[in-house]
Amino acid sequence: MFDWLKPNDVLWLIPAAPLLACLWIVVVGHVVRRQYAHRPVVLAIAISAALSIHLLVNVVPTGFGKTVEHAEHGDHDEHAHVEPSHAISTNVFGDTQVNGKTEPNPWIRIGPVGNSSLLVLPTLRADAMSALMLVMVTSVSLLVAIFASGYMKGDPGYPRFFAAISAFVFSMCMLVLAGNFLLMFVFWEAVGLCSYLLIGFWFKKPSAAAAAKKAFVVNRIGDFGFLLAIFMIWSTFGTLDFDALFGSPRMIADVVRSQPEVFTTICFLLFIGAMGKSAQFPLHVWLPDAMEGPTPVSALIHAATMVTAGVYLVARCTPFFVHAPKAQMFVAGIGAITALVAAITALTQYDLKRVLAYSTVSQLGYMFMALGAAGAGTNLATLAVTFAMFHMFTHAFFKAVLFLSAGSVMHSMGDVIDMRRFSGLRKVLPITHITFLAGALALAGFPLLSGFWSKDEILAIVMEATKHPEHGDFYKVILGIALLTSLMTAFYTFRAYFMTFWGSEKFPEEAGHHPHDAPPAMAIPLFLLGAAALVIGGITGPTHLYGDYLAHTPGLPEAHHHEPNMLMMAVSSVLAIAGIGLAYVCYVSSPGIARNLKNGMPLPHRFSQEGLMMDWFYLRFVVKPLRLIASISEFFDRWVIDVIVDCVGFVPGLFGAMLRPVHSGFVQHYAVVMLIGLVVCLVSVLRVLAGTL
Amino acid sequence: MNESLQLLNGAIHLVLPETVLLATVCIIFFAASFLVSERGEAPEGLRHRWGMLSLLALLIAGWIGWHAPEVPHSTGPFVADGLTLFIRGLTIAVGAILVLLHWNQADDARSAESHACLLAILAGVNLVAASNDLVGMFVALELISIPTYLFLLLPRRDAPAQEATLKYFLLSIFSSAIVLFGMSYLYGATGTTNLMAIHQAFAGGSHLPHNALIAVATVMLIAGLSFRLAAVPFHFYAPDVFQGAQPSAAAMLSIIPKIAGFVALLRLMVPAAAGESAMHSWMMTPTATNLLWWLAVITMFTGNLMAFVQTDVRRLLAFSSVSHAGYMMVGLVVGMQASQQVSGIGALLFYLVAYGVMTLGAFAVLIAAARTNRRIESLDDLAGLSRTKPALALVLSIFLFSLSGLPPTVGFLGKFNLFFAAWSQGSESSRLLACLLAVNAAIGAWYYLKMIGVMYLRDPVDRSEDVRPMETPSVVAAAVCAVGTIGLFFVPGPLWSHIQLLVQ
Repeated sequence: MFDWLKPNDVLWLIPAAPLLACLWIVVVGHVVRRQYAHRPVVLAIAISAALSIHLLVNVVPTGFGKTVEHAEHGDHDEHAHVEPSHAISTNVFGDTQVNGKTEPNPWIRIGPVGNSSLLVLPTLRADAMSALMLVMVTSVSLLVAIFASGYMKGDPGYPRFFAAISAFVFSMCMLVLAGNFLLMFVFWEAVGLCSYLLIGFWFKKPSAAAAAKKAFVVNRIGDFGFLLAIFMIWSTFGTLDFDALFGSPRMIADVVRSQPEVFTTICFLLFIGAMGKSAQFPLHVWLPDAMEGPTPVSALIHAATMVTAGVYLVARCTPFFVHAPKAQMFVAGIGAITALVAAITALTQYDLKRVLAYSTVSQLGYMFMALGAAGAGTNLATLAVTFAMFHMFTHAFFKAVLFLSAGSVMHSMGDVIDMRRFSGLRKVLPITHITFLAGALALAGFPLLSGFWSKDEILAIVMEATKHPEHGDFYKVILGIALLTSLMTAFYTFRAYFMTFWGSEKFPEEAGHHPHDAPPAMAIPLFLLGAAALVIGGITGPTHLYGDYLAHTPGLPEAHHHEPNMLMMAVSSVLAIAGIGLAYVCYVSSPGIARNLKNGMPLPHRFSQEGLMMDWFYLRFVVKPLRLIASISEFFDRWVIDVIVDCVGFVPGLFGAMLRPVHSGFVQHYAVVMLIGLVVCLVSVLRVLAGTL
Repeated sequence: MNESLQLLNGAIHLVLPETVLLATVCIIFFAASFLVSERGEAPEGLRHRWGMLSLLALLIAGWIGWHAPEVPHSTGPFVADGLTLFIRGLTIAVGAILVLLHWNQADDARSAESHACLLAILAGVNLVAASNDLVGMFVALELISIPTYLFLLLPRRDAPAQEATLKYFLLSIFSSAIVLFGMSYLYGATGTTNLMAIHQAFAGGSHLPHNALIAVATVMLIAGLSFRLAAVPFHFYAPDVFQGAQPSAAAMLSIIPKIAGFVALLRLMVPAAAGESAMHSWMMTPTATNLLWWLAVITMFTGNLMAFVQTDVRRLLAFSSVSHAGYMMVGLVVGMQASQQVSGIGALLFYLVAYGVMTLGAFAVLIAAARTNRRIESLDDLAGLSRTKPALALVLSIFLFSLSGLPPTVGFLGKFNLFFAAWSQGSESSRLLACLLAVNAAIGAWYYLKMIGVMYLRDPVDRSEDVRPMETPSVVAAAVCAVGTIGLFFVPGPLWSHIQLLVQ
């Protein structure tokens, strides 16, 4: 279909299409045909999605490693030579001919200062990992954009919303396609900016503005770590280019041998960057608040795509992480804590979107758990990356459908999202009910659905890690947490499902007389995503489609096939069904149990409700001390610095006033002063002259 | 007889553009007496013709000057080295802008004479730059002074203008007398009026017995010419005259005498066709340097501190003109000391161009922003200009930014060059001078920015409808200056490299 396109053109066209759409809306669409602002965006994302699939299927495989027979050696050479996989890359700025040589046009060239210089090319680069990620990003974005065209109808900021969405898709594509750390960081920040703009989309609502600010500030902490990591990578290796860094295992090995602590530090810092963006404990506090944004934004940015950028970063840097087992254990530990904390919090939330938000945090923790499991041995690295990325892939679909269904509920309930105020919606909203159920089953890990396959693999790899002689106990704890979380996930997901769709029919007064189900623009994406949530894991997981493709990513260590772990499958199936059953018992068959539990244990309930008091903790130990320092600084600025500056400003005026009487306006005074000046000059010069004679 | 005719012929050849200007002056004076009746009635719109004629004369002079060959070595009354040609180009460009500023400042009946005076002044500046003889230089300086008196008085004959003219006249002849005094001592010490011969005499070391004579001559010449630079303590006329005279006359006074004064000092100090390598001529005694150092410092501080307390825009610009004279003297001081990477004289010449562009632009806006019944006088008249005339306010802000030395304007580059020249000269005193320059730039920024603040943050005082037709010539001049102010920041290369060639 796209054979007429050169591979390099595909790379830049993918981000270029949404960028053009964004510019179009900003310049023209903001004024003309405002209610059709979604059209260019949907079209552009559709182009991106089609090109991404083309990239995945046709372009990137041309770079895959092949076994090449060396014919010239004849029959003596039994060894087959394996060509390593390479990435497809292109320089956006093109090349120039300098003195007959072709030189790439740089994006940033600094130096050489001393013997170091910084040369960064605006390289776009695609390999197996980024191609898979791109397909996920663009396809989910496409469906969410279509959904949003129905959901956001009538909003005064309609064009602004779509401009931001297309800017986000552009930035996210660039983040994934970036060929070096600096370019990645720029778009890492750009997606953060889009997230800020979209969380605060209804900026007149104080809570939305505050949530946007919170997200931005908390992300800064992580970004700071990422930036430091980039500095260290540059000063250690002298380059930021992915191909140069990950393509030469020997260079990495040299550095590991000479400066192991530097290496571990780089990995820690990279993970801190990932913690901010992927909302890992203790930087996870921004994500639940980010639900103040429009629901399609929550689905797209804060569940399916942007928040997985941290997972992508750590996966991308696997060639680094395999040499830093300590950092990987840290990753696994943080992931486990996050998964558990978020799951506990999700148990008692009443806000449907917040349940889903905490569930997102928890699932991201799962992915990091999987990545961290590679700390138990280099041979696990590729599998760990594969499973983490696979869970991210399936999660994107089922979490998107859950959020969009929640959005559909909100849409029909007059923007009410508190589950205590509505119930029994399965008759009124049949479409939404079906799609939500599909997503919920997948998330809970119901056997043979998407979430089941990916979650099972994560459990399996963590179990594999427990066999490590030294750190086995550590991974046993992680495994325990993972299993417990798995049970809780099934429980809280179905708690939300039963509270919303079962029980007696009840609508809030904001919903009007007759709540209506999703219109076609919303229903079609819901169905598509729901179907994907059910089957996509089964299609690509057990058949090794996903894993085999991903294994072609350059830089990943070689790995053997992973056999399904029947024990884990059985255990996780039992846990999922147990969780669902428990939720049914507590919220449908005998609702008194839940109430009694809540009243019987007020303190744990409140603890869970408040998200383990994390916000309180931050307020007490971070925000308040900072405010104190700020007020001290303000005092100093106002009463010390300002006073000094005012004095400095006062002095020239004083001198000026002293000089003023000389300029009296009488010409004879002027002449006299000139004469005096002349005489003074003469006398002084002649005196000096007399001294020298 | 034949020989002297030949000499004269050769000399005229060197000052052909000035001859064109002076010929135009004669034509205007002659023709005007026929076109204006005895009772002072003139046909409507006559001033446009005089303006056009002046521009035409400047164009022709410029064209001839452009093609004039460089004649660096001359024993006659005139030279035409690189400096002469540079100053000629600058004067003609500045003159064209001044003609635009002056376009509607004099009524039809008096326009002819004032335009003619302006052309004569410009010719005078060029002749100073071309002079190779003390007598010729003095005459050229007087060719600037005498038309200036007329130029101040002619457009307006009310009491403030008369007072201003009288003050300028008295103090100017005082300074001319001082210059003449210095020249006579110089003649006494060397026995010749030819500058080339004077420089040669000093280069031979024959001045030693006359040290005191030369010192007196040096002080007198510097003092007398300082009047034209508006250097303290010879600056007193500036605020009063700027306040009393027409704004176009004030604009002329802010730049033209400075060009003349600096080029005269350079001519006296630097032998023709020799750059800074030959800076050890007679004036370069350490005492003269010291004197100029002190004059520069006092001038900068007095100008800025006085401008700081002004409430009248015209007086403010007068003191600003004083302080900029101080900045340029910094270039002169460090240029006189050998061994520096960045040429002080070069920085001075660059700053002359920069200052010309920005100060003329500021005056152009003041002229263009005048209201029917009221010119721009006090700071209050500028209040709210951003709302009544936003474009003019913006352009004036550009000039004020440039005057205070902020990028992206040529004023920044000019100050930077001066600072850099002073700093890289290396000696303690030069570095101290560089620091004082920086301090003064900071003080200066206050009152320039205050003007911008008044324009943008305060409400207009007079809200009545303005029926005055647009001041097209001044607007054009302001636009040209604005383009120059911004353009020379981004593309200073051609000008700067030309100046570097001059001073090497």
